[in-house]
Amino acid sequence: MAVKHFEAEVRREPKGAVLDLRGEINGFAQGTLDAAYAEAEKENPGAILLNFEGVDYINSTGIALIVGLLARARATKRDLSAYGLSEHYVEIFNITRLSDFMGVFPDEESALYGTVVK
Amino acid sequence: MTGQPRDAAHWARYTETLEVAGLRKGAGTRNVEGRRPVSPLQGFGKMWQKTFKVRLEGVGASPVEVVGAWREHFPEISGFGEGFRVPSGGLVPGAVALLAGGLTGVMVLYADEESFTYMTPEGHPFSGWITFSAYRDEDGTTVAQAQFLIRANDPVYELMMLVGMNGAENLQWQGTLRNLAAHFGARGRVETKVVCVDPGRRWRHYKNLRHNVLIRSMLHALIAPLRWLRPRSTG
Repeated sequence: MAVKHFEAEVRREPKGAVLDLRGEINGFAQGTLDAAYAEAEKENPGAILLNFEGVDYINSTGIALIVGLLARARATKRDLSAYGLSEHYVEIFNITRLSDFMGVFPDEESALYGTVVK
Repeated sequence: MTGQPRDAAHWARYTETLEVAGLRKGAGTRNVEGRRPVSPLQGFGKMWQKTFKVRLEGVGASPVEVVGAWREHFPEISGFGEGFRVPSGGLVPGAVALLAGGLTGVMVLYADEESFTYMTPEGHPFSGWITFSAYRDEDGTTVAQAQFLIRANDPVYELMMLVGMNGAENLQWQGTLRNLAAHFGARGRVETKVVCVDPGRRWRHYKNLRHNVLIRSMLHALIAPLRWLRPRSTG
């Protein structure tokens, strides 16, 4: 199966920076994801949102990359949240206990204004 | 994201606590059965990302073949030998294997053809994930990799990491990759990269000490005479 490229773009919103993620999050996504996160941090936003609507595959290395971002966010006392995850990946966030440490929201509006997916 | 994800069968199902199946129940599972699997975020110490890699120069095996052999022969290749007890169903997602004769264990969090990941339980020296994988380098050489995202589970383990457990663990996994290379007839040099992802300690997680398998096993041994003296019911 062909590996889809991973892309990440930063968008500025009044309540924080949004990282629009697309493609597959695996070990090959590290450079792009780290660079996009660094870009998102530049204007020192209080919150960074990860938009997973365009992501169709995450493996365990990809989950580890997200934990790395979460560690960076916590070190700088910044909120990191996720939205746009399918039901399957919401479950993966539960299995890996990631959802204990970051808000998981159904869409951007609720991520910005706060209704967590359970 | 829509439709059935292609990785659905690669992940373990959600479980609140570990259940040891396919292995003999009893004393050997005491420190693992019923423990919660823990992510790198639930531990106490500094968070580390450790990567060990070996290039399998001159080896024709594909990444899929390398990971397949690694998974099948994990006890021998890792050097844990019989101390690593694989359940009868193998190292499939959700399976729990025992380590150090049952002192602790690991759950298979994820497994596909080119990688597999272990997640540790409460009480283990560190909380987190270990991913074993292989890929083709730009020149077509297969590279095998073990990557850890971990932090010491409690203050005692953090202290042990500072006084030597960290180095001993690095030696353990460098040896594993050398063994893997030797399994394929190669003599690769192991590259090691250690990055502190989060230098902060999670002081509110100091209570993880109550699960520490070394302390619990010591206490279990100390009170063994009391258990022997306890009157047994008859009839």
